[in-house]
Amino acid sequence: MRKIVAIVCAACVAITGISSLAQDDPTRPEQGLRDRTPRLFALTNARIVTPDPDKRTKNRLIEIEHGTLVIDAGEIKAVGSDVKIPAGARVIDLTGKTVYPGLIDAYSETKVPAPPDGTGYWNKQIRPQVNVADHYTPDAKLNEQFRGQGIVARLVAPSAGVIRGTSVVVTTADGDSQTSIIRPLDAQHVRLTVDRSRSGGYPRSPMGAVALARQALYDAQWHTAAVVLPLHDDDRSQTVGDARVNTALASLFATTPSEDLPLELQTTLYFKTDHERSLLRAKRFADEFKLKAVFVGSGREYRRPEAMRVNAIIVPVDFPKAPNVSTPEAALNVSLQELMHWDLAPTNPARVAEHNPDLALTSHGLDDRKKFLAAVRKAVDYGLDQDTALRSLTINPARLLNIDKTHGTLAAGKTASFIVTDGDLFAEKTRIVETWVDGRRFEHKPEPTVDPRGTWKVTMQGVKGKPRSLTVEIAGESDKPSAKVVAESTDGVESDVALKHVAIVAAQLTGVFDSSAFGAEGVARLSVTVTRNGDGEAIWKGRVVWPSGRVGWCTAKRAADDKPDKEDVTDEDKDEDKADDPAPLFDVNYPLGAFGVTKQPGQPTVLFRNATVWTCGPAGVLKGASVLVRDGKIVAVGQDVERPKGKVVIVDCKGKHITPGMIDCHSHIATDGGVNESGQAITSEVRIGDFVNGDDIAIYRQLAGGTTTANILHGSANPIGGQNQVIKFRWGMTGEAMKFKAAKPGIKFALGENVKQSNWSNPTGRYPQTRMGVEQIMRDAFRAARDYQRAWDEWKKHKKGVPPRRDLELDALAEVMSGDRIIHCHSYRQDEILALIRVCDDFGVKIGTFQHVLEGYKVADAIAKHGAGGSSFSDWWAYKFEVYDAIPHNGALMHGRGVVVSFNSDDAELGRRMNTEAAKATKYGGVPPEQALLFVTLNPARQLRIDHRVGSIEPGKDADIVVWNGQPMSTFTRCEQTWVDGRKVFDRHADLKQRQRVSQMRAKLIQRILDSGEPMKKAGEKSKADGAFWENINRFCEHCDQNTAAHRRRLEMQGGGR
Amino acid sequence: MNKLMRCFWLAVLMMAFAVPAHAADEVPGPAQSKPIALVGGTVHTMHGRPIKNGTVVFDKGKIVAVGRNVKIPDGAQRVKVNGKHVYPALFDANTDMGLIEINAVRATRDYSEAGSVNPSAQSHVSVNPDSELIPVARANGVLLALTAPRGGLIAGRSAVIQLDGWTYEDMTLRAGAGMHVDWPRMSPNAPWYPSTSSTSAASARDAALKQLEKLFDDARAYWQARRAADKAKHKRSAVDARFEAMVDVFERRVPLIVSADDLAEIQAAVAFANRQNVRLIIYGGYDAPHCAALLKEHGVSVIVAGTHRLPRRRDEGYDTAFTVPQRLRAADVTYCINGRFRFGAAMVRNLPYHAASAAAFGLPRDEAIKAITLYPAQVLGVADRVGSLKVGKDATLIVTDGDPLEITTHVKAAYVQGRAVQLTSRHTRLNEKYQKKYERTGSEGE
Repeated sequence: MRKIVAIVCAACVAITGISSLAQDDPTRPEQGLRDRTPRLFALTNARIVTPDPDKRTKNRLIEIEHGTLVIDAGEIKAVGSDVKIPAGARVIDLTGKTVYPGLIDAYSETKVPAPPDGTGYWNKQIRPQVNVADHYTPDAKLNEQFRGQGIVARLVAPSAGVIRGTSVVVTTADGDSQTSIIRPLDAQHVRLTVDRSRSGGYPRSPMGAVALARQALYDAQWHTAAVVLPLHDDDRSQTVGDARVNTALASLFATTPSEDLPLELQTTLYFKTDHERSLLRAKRFADEFKLKAVFVGSGREYRRPEAMRVNAIIVPVDFPKAPNVSTPEAALNVSLQELMHWDLAPTNPARVAEHNPDLALTSHGLDDRKKFLAAVRKAVDYGLDQDTALRSLTINPARLLNIDKTHGTLAAGKTASFIVTDGDLFAEKTRIVETWVDGRRFEHKPEPTVDPRGTWKVTMQGVKGKPRSLTVEIAGESDKPSAKVVAESTDGVESDVALKHVAIVAAQLTGVFDSSAFGAEGVARLSVTVTRNGDGEAIWKGRVVWPSGRVGWCTAKRAADDKPDKEDVTDEDKDEDKADDPAPLFDVNYPLGAFGVTKQPGQPTVLFRNATVWTCGPAGVLKGASVLVRDGKIVAVGQDVERPKGKVVIVDCKGKHITPGMIDCHSHIATDGGVNESGQAITSEVRIGDFVNGDDIAIYRQLAGGTTTANILHGSANPIGGQNQVIKFRWGMTGEAMKFKAAKPGIKFALGENVKQSNWSNPTGRYPQTRMGVEQIMRDAFRAARDYQRAWDEWKKHKKGVPPRRDLELDALAEVMSGDRIIHCHSYRQDEILALIRVCDDFGVKIGTFQHVLEGYKVADAIAKHGAGGSSFSDWWAYKFEVYDAIPHNGALMHGRGVVVSFNSDDAELGRRMNTEAAKATKYGGVPPEQALLFVTLNPARQLRIDHRVGSIEPGKDADIVVWNGQPMSTFTRCEQTWVDGRKVFDRHADLKQRQRVSQMRAKLIQRILDSGEPMKKAGEKSKADGAFWENINRFCEHCDQNTAAHRRRLEMQGGGR
Repeated sequence: MNKLMRCFWLAVLMMAFAVPAHAADEVPGPAQSKPIALVGGTVHTMHGRPIKNGTVVFDKGKIVAVGRNVKIPDGAQRVKVNGKHVYPALFDANTDMGLIEINAVRATRDYSEAGSVNPSAQSHVSVNPDSELIPVARANGVLLALTAPRGGLIAGRSAVIQLDGWTYEDMTLRAGAGMHVDWPRMSPNAPWYPSTSSTSAASARDAALKQLEKLFDDARAYWQARRAADKAKHKRSAVDARFEAMVDVFERRVPLIVSADDLAEIQAAVAFANRQNVRLIIYGGYDAPHCAALLKEHGVSVIVAGTHRLPRRRDEGYDTAFTVPQRLRAADVTYCINGRFRFGAAMVRNLPYHAASAAAFGLPRDEAIKAITLYPAQVLGVADRVGSLKVGKDATLIVTDGDPLEITTHVKAAYVQGRAVQLTSRHTRLNEKYQKKYERTGSEGE
């Protein structure tokens, strides 16, 4: 313990040793003459607004009217209303201005080179040793943009990798790399995904990225125990062979908690997230390892309350552009979800603040950084409390980034980083006039030495018989003036002439005007210099160059009672255009958009009466029967079930049929991170469970077809793929809540053409490329897992020395070998099926199911003897060579040999017609309907080891129930109601009503967009965030000839609309 | 169970009563040598109500009588079909039957020619009569199919084929049934579709539309030059194979069959066909109900590309694809239903279940069966030959033990132009073969 603390502290010295105030580098020899510009300022008559620097009253704002701020050498010396102005101070009168602490941008990214090959971790997506401090180069243009938005400091994090490295807080004052860094942040940056555009090796999917990050943290723990501690501690002998220090893992060691490392010394992890599901995933990941976490949000947190309930969060303000609804055709392709997102996203900061008032805001994600303040103001308009808004830009990020000693408030001793505005910071028209960074003053709109705006009376010399005087009226912003020349003729008639090309540069006003009113033909040019006379009055002296080239001198004075007036320019129409109430038209539903639920349905006591009940249990089919449900469970089934006392929902099922909710033993819907991790041949460490997307509309659509449970499988790109996840369709809940916890853990294996890349246009040539190789790699993996397990067993006996390195890939396989994890193996040909059975027999492993198993009928006896289930397509065939012998009688034939058979979908569309798939076992092979129905109910439940919970209508089982309007396997039958855990999650009548509501909501939101006059997205324009969304179509699927555009188009045509 | 199944299969094989059952490749049915009368079944003519206890008589491949009290010619073969049903053959209005065997094996794919402009390609000449996929479709009652090329902008010409015959010539009912155009994509891609930006998608669309327009203008110029030459009795100029194939389109003998699902695409195709004065059929038609009035106005019919499709948009009702036929019918647009599934020809046998899903969601049942028999024949211009049970039409029909739209129904017999065809297939052969394995090894296996 002492040792590890010492190591951590040693590491921290480098961090805290850096001066907290970014100043000129004192170690650098002076070049030339010393700069001794006075740096003592007194800013007077300002309204000063700052969060209270006292931690005990952190939520209070202090407001000082007519305050003074004294600054010396870049540091605030005094703040207050009765501050004495030090002698010799340069006084700046800030009458009418407000001073706030400088704003802090809590997150930004920069590209940093990857670590050189051969250094650090084996996988370059894990690069914790990368440090932005070694690479940061200030960019003057960027700094100016930040300062223009009042930002005086920002976090700069590395932009690439899964575990990305450490960041720095930098000032936006211009300087060199060294002096720009306020301090390195003791934090490690993580993004638990990879972009869709990424090419190259493992990980090629978000699933792989999470698995890799998880493994890296375990490796860091192991590395600490096996390498770091023995190096620092003589008492601990180095027990792990020749393991050497790994720079990457060494950089991670303070990140990962261990028994020796107290929480306060742990490094914080900043999780960059892409959407609310990605944030929830990061949160689970942090909880899994008990990490200190800060979440960099996506602006979509409002979509799940769970995503807003986090300890520390940074929220962007890159609100979405309006979707394109300019034509009916374009609007047709915009979803209610997009429309609602446009309407709701600006409320995200306010909603997050309700849960977490310590939030920090960031400009990250904005295309145009210059719109940051405007976006923050929009968030304020949409409900973000102004005080909270100010804190989220000052004290909150200062604390988060550990610079609150110097930044975030205005108080003596802080760095002189603040902003001067000409009004309330969150008012629409307020400008930031000055940004002071570390005592350096940056004026954004220097006040003109003389403001030329106003009405000027010009007296011209040398004009005979023509008007001798004219009036110039100058309006507009001082840097963008507009002006006109009013000529007064000798007979007193005035005529207006516009002064064009007006410019004011360095106190010189220039412009041209039509000189006809002055009796000349052509354009005259005016040029005057504005100065002050002895009385301090502004005067003009200049000349008019007439079209003839003749020069006439002129002088001017302000007209009486005239003053510069800036209100002049206010465009009043603009305010009228603005909607009165920006409140969103509709509240958040779950998942957002069409068919989302506003309130989770309850679990009432329900009595289904007068139904034909296909129990799929020993009771068989019961006519005129009832099913009683209470607390989500079936309590009674039969012809003589009595109506219980109390409140009961009665569902009259006269003429209707009831079946158990159907179970799809092979599905790829509801995944959030792709379907395949194809980067390696064995990816047993990858978990579908990390990527369940409960928001997938496919879930609702399948509920509408009577399916209630699905086995979400990894794809078939690898001999050993990832771990599967069984989910229940608890529509409206999060993916996490949909996990069917009682299901036995499983894993995807695959054989044949897909894993040997037979149908790839560009096979990678990786092992295996033949069925021979597939068989060998399976054996090899089992052997490795066996050795691994033995090593652990050995260590556990004595628990002495360093434990073996935890290998998540082999962990999963060891579970397979011990029977704690079941194999679901994609397979087609009889030889490969038999070969895997033999391999497993040799290692004492029992296969859970063969998936597809289209030649299962050829070796049904061997499958039955081994005890594996067969989860098959009812009638697919001929899409590739290995399924040329597939026949629709397969299910019946295997069933006839005693194999537990199910029919699956492997397809989001087919997954909603499982009932009629079952009928194909009757058609091809004569399986009686009652038994055929088991192929999509009890049998898949048995295969997934959930038959104690679902698959039949029997007392004690979950109330997953479907009401049909006819015989359930008839093609003419429709699903009327679907219940999951005793909750009604689909009802056809409610669905039809919901559709009307959806079209009303769409109409109103579309109107709002059209009314707003906001620019819309172009047709097909994508947002930056799109790269984070992965399709859940199996790209290495059952029918892929090639990954071509035409192929994808076909996929889209039959599978689009997500 | 085993015994039961064996009995069942024996029964099924016996049902192919016109031809002896054997485990060899299917042999095309022999030409009809004498009149055949199907007696005692329920006859679904597709014109009016079903005729119970009716009779269908056909001779020399043509239907000669349909009704309740029909005189059966002397020497006719009487086939009792009591308790069974007689329907016209099921007709899939767009397939790649015969042009593909195994999708993933390039050597077996013949549906897409190189380049994007192939009006001269004609599908029927590369239909493989010995494709194992054909008997599988036939066994479920699908005896007629449009077989069409696809890919590129203009894929070529399709043909209506009957699913029995020694050669493609035997099989071809009508060559040049349609000129197939894949309408350029007009709406944005799915968000996960990674590659294209909005500007590149828009410019690709504009380029393709321009190409299509220019192509038609060039072809029209060729056609007009040819007509002018003919009129003036001049020698025609050199043949351009592509444009020569377009002549039938301009002369309105061959319709354009345009693949389009999206509203903007369908509307653009209608306007294009109108401008070019050519006949138009929409294939796909997912959004067609949204512009039904336009389609009706221009007499455009729609081949609904299957009902077993997901909604294309998140907000749409889960049953949107199921209800496309009913919505078109309600709007008085001519339509038929096809059995599109992503594996193409291999899954044509499931055509009736697409129609059934439409019926489950509102299409009247008698309409649903017409949508896969009579309507495809009408849409594709072969209703004088097939599509219903009417005197003078081909005796291309099926005998079933129930409603063909129900999965559990079996086709008991099938005739193509009066020829009794086999209902066995690769599937039944393999089933039989492995039944034998287990008969020999016994129930304990291995």
